[in-house]
Amino acid sequence: MKKLFTFCFTLALVTLISTVGFSQKTITGVVTDADNNEPLIGANVLIKGLSTGTITDIDGSYSLDLPAGSDMLVVSYAGYTDQEVAVGGQSVVNIALSAGALLDEIVVVGYGTVRKRDVTGSVASLKEEDFNKGIVVNPDQLIQGRVPGVNVTNNSGQPGGEATVKIRGNNSIRAGANPLYVIDGVPLDGRSARAALLQSDLGSIPSSNPLNFINPADIQSIEILKDASSAAIYGSRGANGVVLVTTKKGRSGETTVDFGVSLGTSSLLKKYDVLDGDEYRSALSQYGLSGDGGSNVDAFDEILQSALTTNYALSFGGGTDNSSYRLSMGYSDQEGIVKETGIKKYNVALNSSFDLLDDAAGIDFQMITNHATEQIAPVSSNAGFTGNIVGQALQWNPTVPLMTSDGAFTKADNNPLVGETTINPLELLAAYDETANTTTLLGSISPYYNITDKLQYRYRYGINYSTGRTRGGIRGFVNVQNVEDRGLAGVSNTTLVSQLHSHTLNYTDDIAQGVSMTLLGGYEYQKFDFKGYVAGALGFTVQDFDNTNALQNSDPGSRVMFSFADPVSELQSYFGRANFNINDKYLFTATVRADGSSKFGDNNRYGIFPSAAFAWNLHNDIMSDGPFDEFKVRLGWGQTGNQEFPAGAAQERYELVEQGSQQENAPNPDLKWETSTTMNLGIDFAIFDYALAGTIEYFTRSTEDLLLDPFVSEPGPAVRAWRNIDGKVVNSGVELGLTGFIMDTDNQQLSITANIAMLNNEFKDYSGAPIQTGDLFGQGISGTFIQTHKEGFPLNTYFVREYTGLDESGNSTYTDDGNTFYELGDPNASMILGLSANYSMNDFSVGLNFNGAFGHELYNNTANTVIPIGNLGTRNIDAALLDSPTQESVANPITASSRYIEDGSFIKLANATVGYNIGDVGKFSNINVTLTGQNLFVITDYTGFDPEVNTVNLRNGVPSQGIEYIPYPSAKSFILSVGVSF
Amino acid sequence: MKKYFLFAFLLIGAFACTDLEEELREDLTASQALSDVQVDALLNSAYDGLRLPYQDQAQFWAAQEHTSDEAIGPTRGPDWDDNGVWRVLHNHEWNADHAFLGDTFSALLQVVYGTTDILNFNPTSEQEAEARFLRAFVMSSVVDGWGQVPFREAGTSLLDDAPVLSAQETVDFIVSECDAILANLPDGPANTANKDAARVLLMKILLNKGAYLSRATPSFDAADMNRVISLADDIINSGQYSLADNYFDNFAPNNTDLSTENIWVISNETGVPQGGSGNSVRSRWFCSMHYNQNPSGWNGFTTLGDFYMSFEDSDVRKKADYAGVTEATGVNAGFLFGQQFDADGNPLMDRKGNDLSFTKEVALKESGDNLEITGIRVVKYPPDINGGDNVGNDLVLYRYADVLLMKAEAELRNGNAGTALSIVNDIRSSRGASTLGSIDLDELLAERGRELYWEGHRRTDLIRFGRFLDAWEEKPASGEERLLFPIPTGSLASNPNLTQNPGY
Repeated sequence: MKKLFTFCFTLALVTLISTVGFSQKTITGVVTDADNNEPLIGANVLIKGLSTGTITDIDGSYSLDLPAGSDMLVVSYAGYTDQEVAVGGQSVVNIALSAGALLDEIVVVGYGTVRKRDVTGSVASLKEEDFNKGIVVNPDQLIQGRVPGVNVTNNSGQPGGEATVKIRGNNSIRAGANPLYVIDGVPLDGRSARAALLQSDLGSIPSSNPLNFINPADIQSIEILKDASSAAIYGSRGANGVVLVTTKKGRSGETTVDFGVSLGTSSLLKKYDVLDGDEYRSALSQYGLSGDGGSNVDAFDEILQSALTTNYALSFGGGTDNSSYRLSMGYSDQEGIVKETGIKKYNVALNSSFDLLDDAAGIDFQMITNHATEQIAPVSSNAGFTGNIVGQALQWNPTVPLMTSDGAFTKADNNPLVGETTINPLELLAAYDETANTTTLLGSISPYYNITDKLQYRYRYGINYSTGRTRGGIRGFVNVQNVEDRGLAGVSNTTLVSQLHSHTLNYTDDIAQGVSMTLLGGYEYQKFDFKGYVAGALGFTVQDFDNTNALQNSDPGSRVMFSFADPVSELQSYFGRANFNINDKYLFTATVRADGSSKFGDNNRYGIFPSAAFAWNLHNDIMSDGPFDEFKVRLGWGQTGNQEFPAGAAQERYELVEQGSQQENAPNPDLKWETSTTMNLGIDFAIFDYALAGTIEYFTRSTEDLLLDPFVSEPGPAVRAWRNIDGKVVNSGVELGLTGFIMDTDNQQLSITANIAMLNNEFKDYSGAPIQTGDLFGQGISGTFIQTHKEGFPLNTYFVREYTGLDESGNSTYTDDGNTFYELGDPNASMILGLSANYSMNDFSVGLNFNGAFGHELYNNTANTVIPIGNLGTRNIDAALLDSPTQESVANPITASSRYIEDGSFIKLANATVGYNIGDVGKFSNINVTLTGQNLFVITDYTGFDPEVNTVNLRNGVPSQGIEYIPYPSAKSFILSVGVSF
Repeated sequence: MKKYFLFAFLLIGAFACTDLEEELREDLTASQALSDVQVDALLNSAYDGLRLPYQDQAQFWAAQEHTSDEAIGPTRGPDWDDNGVWRVLHNHEWNADHAFLGDTFSALLQVVYGTTDILNFNPTSEQEAEARFLRAFVMSSVVDGWGQVPFREAGTSLLDDAPVLSAQETVDFIVSECDAILANLPDGPANTANKDAARVLLMKILLNKGAYLSRATPSFDAADMNRVISLADDIINSGQYSLADNYFDNFAPNNTDLSTENIWVISNETGVPQGGSGNSVRSRWFCSMHYNQNPSGWNGFTTLGDFYMSFEDSDVRKKADYAGVTEATGVNAGFLFGQQFDADGNPLMDRKGNDLSFTKEVALKESGDNLEITGIRVVKYPPDINGGDNVGNDLVLYRYADVLLMKAEAELRNGNAGTALSIVNDIRSSRGASTLGSIDLDELLAERGRELYWEGHRRTDLIRFGRFLDAWEEKPASGEERLLFPIPTGSLASNPNLTQNPGY
């Protein structure tokens, strides 16, 4: 392996060095529409293998300098099929383009590719130009708002934070509902190796995104398999949809070098409106309370910084007739808008391929290496009364300076206005220190052999090795309960390794006139291995010291030492697919996958996941004379599985504890995957000479054998028993994707793309105990939860007291005195929307991209427990509380109720981009400058930080949805990027 | 180049189809675990398992005290709303979804499981007796709260629905278990299942049997009362116990050594982390003391004014300085009423700048500027100021004064008021209270309250004396269904052998 890598690398360097010096000749020509011979204005004429080129003028003519060694031109124009032309000895090259490019793209599907026109399932394909621009740390962010029915919400605003990705609604009652990610044919584990530290009263920090190791600049395309007829080839891991990420490859031709640099600055998207010093003073006097410290302080501002981002990307690509390579290097340094936070990433990726044995065989080789360093501040998702620094800053009495005149942190010891339990957020920032390092390697090598010209065998070995090392602690000078005067420190390490072996046979043949057939058969073996340890302690003798460097100094009685090695889980699969194409009119696809998993119970070792789809290309058949340029109807059915439960869940296991063992798990030999059955009906069309093209789809998906791990029934040990419960989750919806070329004149183009999904979610046929989630956090609200999965309602429906306003004494009143809980809201958006507009005029371009979600409710846990009216006199309050016509009593309990349920609908300007293509300067080509604004504004009635953030917490393994609790705040950013090729 | 190509192909041969057997690595299989079972360790775990249901402030203790006339958990503006869990306990409006009652049911029955499990592994006769005592003790709490007990015999599968014992079956079972194990139990100490603890358990079961079998109209069989008396006499005549010279020594940080009354306790040691889960005994004072006191508390639970007023001022149980604590913190033992001071005698203030002066008046929902200071605070356990998280006060489950009061009650119920009066007056004299001229059931109930307040017995006592449904401060008269807790919704759904108690 190592040798092979050395070989590839050497080859890459040799190729690089060999591409020095060039002479050139000038080529001219005209680009026209093949149908009517009209000139095409603004068509791209590029030199293949280089990214240099030119654009046709008002007469459709062009002129460019062709370097020696280059012979191919690539001509493209929106709405037309790309065409490659060999120049040969010519100096005038005229090109006629045919309309219909939209459906001729190549789309990556599981274990292969198809022409877009041959797709039978629901597959969304995004190319690089479709991706979101701006500060992008991981691939989730590239697709946010770009695909109908795909909803990406951030679990925190922390750079590199995890996201919740829901494809076509909420599928599963438990955690593990994110889609399967497959990077260049290697399915990922889905977990992050970032190591977690010891819990303190400050709560736990949200996870980082497991896809952080991929440099977004290396991604060529992302395909999303939305329905079961396309995802069933991934079997027991396909139920939540599959995201296929394809990285950029080198192209044969001369070496090109692309270099990009971007600089950005980020600041707070939306400020939570708490009182300023003067407002606080006036509120104190209105209420007749004391607590004025005489100053004007914005504590929230004090924990924020103007955050800088720098990003460098350098890549070399090229190749010969029988080899190609692309080597890229990336470095990014993104500061978070909360002080002492940020992520630095170092990335090297290599893609190469070699043809061997006179093209009878070959090898593809890919490798991504990444190192990420996250600096983490205590912005936890589940802090109790202590809060996290965001909560502490919101609560801080705005009339009390954070620092004393002699430079000490203001606290109870030196200021009577500060409570004993109130934590100064700046002091906590100073006392808290956590650094998480994650190193990831994703490598795959894939030799293939063409047994005949119709039959190809391919083997792929893939490895994803990721290790996390975290060190952190809280110094004992801060008044965090149990840590004060003692200090807390810990180190931890985790290793996550997954391996893949797959063998596929691909057979393509024309079995009759106009009838082609493609068959795929495969065997795949995957293995997942997760291990780690954590060591930590309290009670250090020196308080202002980095105690992670000397854990031996701690109080022995407080030491925690813990290591784990999850059961290795293995997945063994057999799969096959058959495609038939009859005269480009009728397309049939059938797939089947048998998945055996060591996680399943003895009685259910293998699951079978079939699918079938049919597409009728009416435009090539009975509608060829109609107004449509394309018209295809697709119908698909399939079954997929979800096996995202922990390894070992089916077995009776005893965990080793201090000096003994205890039962950990109740066995269930029948344990198996969740099964989702999806039906999909879609229409792809283009009309008005491709000026309007789109897709309409209807789907319904029913998920059964739902996984849940309730405690065993009493009397039993405190252990859970995984089981497949009765009941089903039904999602259905309509999706619409439309692209219109509104303007297409001499030198201006305007296109608008809209995607809309209307989604419906219901939990059905369930008769067991209500499944609770939606825990609230903060002082005075212990044990409160507000969401229940209940038969006949959408998942995560809010069941709460119905707030009816304030009585004359300023206390909250509720329907039925608060004794009855009502169904009062649904956090599942009923409509999600993405809207983008792109305008270009000559070398200028402008792009806008909005996204939004509508028809759902969010719970503002921050308003409920962090800044309630009762804080007045000691801590800050929500400014909106003073707008009430009845003066709210400071003694009004903070009872959870519909008072804090808000309309979560929003629309956000996610991206705005202005670009100018400078073109070529000397030996530099394709110089372009882009200014991007990200998250520029959000229109919403929601009063919290960001309606698009979802603070996920689990109650007995069941995740909440739509609850915001003092999250890491979202940022808006401006980024200036410069790109150049040579 | 060919070499590398071949090398890659060779990789393919390096593995074969797998049988998908799961290797557990960090865990033991059942057979490995069973071959490695240390009965001692299982027994220690069973003892540790008592901490969650009995020591935590939101478990069985809360079920026994918050539902009674001697404790209340008021909602204080932004604090202690907790979805109303504390309010519904006090005003008797809980339902089958009450989180803490459900957790308590599960936690208690976890101990039943763990102790039964020990019987599978050939314990010594003493280990077996200890396990069976722990099981019977916990089952007595379950039958007390819920009137039925899901129960699996040793060796039966967790996957089968557990059969359910009725109240009668549970009472009979506990009595026969106590009789069977008494000879094999050790004589002590108090932190180990012991003979006298089994005698007290038997006394409690026999005394409450009438109430367990007919909650609304308890009757008391003379033979049962006689057995209560004779069991009490066994304990009294052993000479091992006497009323403590200092009442609060029974609850002090080193009560292990100081108490002359404690018969059955959960062991804790200063500075030493203890097994099990839930909050430590520290929660007994944290739950009540104000933030600005030392040690700082959660400013929560209080007693009620009427209850406080049932004490004479001379009664040390009402208020006493405790050496080693009061001079270091300014906090006395017993009830905290009126202005509070720090260790140097300076008056304290609340977070709003009011004098920290606790009031008799307290409401389920506090709504004034004084919401932080309402309610008389209770410090039954003198705080262990050296323990950090790990305080040393043993949690008292059974105590000698309770034995004396149970004997007095059995005598009274059998018509021997004179004997009862003299027992009660002995206790009152020892605590600095005046002697009574006569005694009846009401007076005895009141004395049990004064002697045993906040020790987790009150609800049981009120039911046995027929007073649990009465109205009292911040609670209206309640319906008969309140004499039992509802079977928690989740438990009911997971075991078809359970039936919901009437009225829920």
